[in-house]
Amino acid sequence: MNRHVSTEQLSAYLDAELGYSEIRQIENHCAACKECGARLDDMQRVISGLGRVERVAPPPALRQQIRQQVAVQPPAPSLERAYNSVRLLFFPIRPALRTAAAMGLALTVGIFIVHHEAEGLPPTPRPGEEVVTVELGAQIGQLLTTSEVADRQFIWTDDGWIQKGLEGQTPVARMDAGSPQGRALLTRYSDLKLLLEDGYPVVLRYDLETVEIRNLPPNRIIGFEPQPVPRRARHIHGSIVAA
Amino acid sequence: MGSEGPLYPVTHHDVALDVELVERHRCGDLQAFDEVYERFGEMIYNLAQRLAGNREEAADLTQEIFLRIYRHLGSFGGRSTLKTWVFRIAINHCRDRLSRHYPATQSIDDEAEEGSGVTIADPGRGPEELAVAADEGRRVMEGLSKVPPVFREAVVLRDLEGLSYEEIAEVLGVRVGTVRSRIARGREQLRVLLEKQV
Repeated sequence: MNRHVSTEQLSAYLDAELGYSEIRQIENHCAACKECGARLDDMQRVISGLGRVERVAPPPALRQQIRQQVAVQPPAPSLERAYNSVRLLFFPIRPALRTAAAMGLALTVGIFIVHHEAEGLPPTPRPGEEVVTVELGAQIGQLLTTSEVADRQFIWTDDGWIQKGLEGQTPVARMDAGSPQGRALLTRYSDLKLLLEDGYPVVLRYDLETVEIRNLPPNRIIGFEPQPVPRRARHIHGSIVAA
Repeated sequence: MGSEGPLYPVTHHDVALDVELVERHRCGDLQAFDEVYERFGEMIYNLAQRLAGNREEAADLTQEIFLRIYRHLGSFGGRSTLKTWVFRIAINHCRDRLSRHYPATQSIDDEAEEGSGVTIADPGRGPEELAVAADEGRRVMEGLSKVPPVFREAVVLRDLEGLSYEEIAEVLGVRVGTVRSRIARGREQLRVLLEKQV
């Protein structure tokens, strides 16, 4: 190795993230090159310094505060579904559309509450406050973080990832990652699995359409698939036919 | 000359524990969420403190992150470890909160605060040695607070939380090559900043 070792190589070397031949090249080069040897020592010192940063235990009261907050949480999945169903209404910018979105929200929240009561679920302590959406309101139009996956930019929202540029669009199709269509999509964009792993849906452009893909929780049974019948062979007039 | 590797190596035991824990949560076992806090509370609090810069904000962030975890734990699919899933939620939440309300860099003022957290002492070191190490740690944290967030996240996850490159890639939703580059650039920027301090 005649060229100097890059910073990235030095860093990965110290993390033992390189292959054997690259490790040997770097060690040989740093032994002969004073400049790279010094840079390696510097990098090592930085890592050692980070190792001296003391860890701090959370305040003991924090656990109790979290317990108290969790105790008054509404049943999360239902609330999230209701939020998902109205979220896209918030994106229109024109006042007329905004009014329509607000009316739609009021209607959906009403249906959501009635639906809950109809299911016989215990009402939340203060249903109005739970749904008043201080949190939802704060999220409107505020695009949070991004992730580079499958050579596209995805934007994190509280209820999933949306490909940049598709905000406010209603997906024309929704698919489960385990379905044939979902598997085909993931074969083409395997990196999307990274985004799907935490259970949130991903909205993206696929085959010129806006689609949504999500992982269904493993314990969610939506139907029983018929088990494949064992193929038995029988002879008919001397030829073998699968039954 | 390599480093010692992740502080919290993933084992099959962890994965089995993850699945069992989430299943218990789905079945309504309240103790399960308590165990999630027991396993990850300190890690998330420290991560939040490194990213936010002070203990008060870290406590608020930790609280919000665990509420989010509680809301979504039932949808955890088990395709990653619970640890990377939890860190992913934590990072996304910190980015969201900190980008809205705070400048990209912020000075570390946590050591000036009293009673808002407990420093975990190393019993193997004497008082003088501990004081020197604490001083060095403060200096490093001050430098780290000036490193751009995108690189700081990678360095914190690697060097302070001990995640592997693969785990960091999962948490940040980027490729391992990107992680490698961000860690290297973050460390290099920190080196330059520490040199300026001297």
